[in-house]
Amino acid sequence: MGFGDYPKEYNPAVHGPYDPARYYGKPDTPFGQVKINELGSWLARRNKSPQAIAGAFSRAWWRWQHKYVQPKKVGIAPFFQLLVGSMTFFYVINYGKMKHHRNYKYH
Amino acid sequence: MLSRVALRSAAARQSTALVARGSATDVSGVRDEKNFPRPVRAVEPGKVRLGFIPEEWFQFFHSKTGVTGPYTFGVGLTTYLFSKEIYVMEHEYYTGLSLLIMVAVAAKKFGPSLAAWLDKEVDAIESDWNSSRVESIKALEDAVEAEKKAQWRAQGQELLIEAKKENVLLQLEAAYRERLMNAYSEVKRRLDYQLEKSNVERRLAQRQMVDWIVSNVTKAITPDQEKQTLDRCIADLAALAARK
Repeated sequence: MGFGDYPKEYNPAVHGPYDPARYYGKPDTPFGQVKINELGSWLARRNKSPQAIAGAFSRAWWRWQHKYVQPKKVGIAPFFQLLVGSMTFFYVINYGKMKHHRNYKYH
Repeated sequence: MLSRVALRSAAARQSTALVARGSATDVSGVRDEKNFPRPVRAVEPGKVRLGFIPEEWFQFFHSKTGVTGPYTFGVGLTTYLFSKEIYVMEHEYYTGLSLLIMVAVAAKKFGPSLAAWLDKEVDAIESDWNSSRVESIKALEDAVEAEKKAQWRAQGQELLIEAKKENVLLQLEAAYRERLMNAYSEVKRRLDYQLEKSNVERRLAQRQMVDWIVSNVTKAITPDQEKQTLDRCIADLAALAARK
């Protein structure tokens, strides 16, 4: 699988038009239904190759796009979400410098 | 027949080669509409609260903490972060706060009218792009309707032709009867003429005969005979008078 290819599991004859927000492999138990004691084996079953991680991020991006950005009567929410997300991201990467601006020595 | 089998087996080989790209469990190659329906574009976006937080995150709290739970959690978390100065309130924080107030006020004040205007524009663009398709569908439907009407009219034409044929038949019947009447009256006229002619001939012959007989009779009477008759008449009169 090179760059720009469909996932290995995607078969146009069966799955129809490609949905970039969808996982076409064999579905595992959803994370919300995993018990705490099964968490280790669930994590062990994950595919942790760079391609798979990139695919997961891509699917999340497209799921967000389909839900908040692509609908016909879209509001300002996705822009606020991007704004808050980028603010959080830059706050986190600059946190080392921000720490020096603390006003109190002891808490 | 054999060639068809050969073609089919070649097609089957090709399709298996295509499917080989997919997973090992999915070799059927049949479109699965139930589990993989065609994706459609949503009309309404996902719901959010406070402008950006997904509704689902609040729903996640509801069963455990009630309606105020997520807000309590949010306020408690921020209070904790502020109090321990994990979130550092440096100078940019106050800039952000004022910006947040301005953005929130602007969104509240101008948001609804802007959203209405944008929705109207989107609808206009969509209807513009759809119009040719809608119009061609409408034109085809109109054509179908016109065709149906034309067929209906053609059926009416059949009725009309039927009526015209009947009309022609009636005219033929009328002409036939008229000629029949004509022939009858002509024959009657000729017969009447013959009758009249024979009547006239008989009448003329009779008159001729009467005239001839009368003239011959009067010619045959001599003066003696006339005198005798007169005498005889006078005698008779006298006899009659004597008897009185």
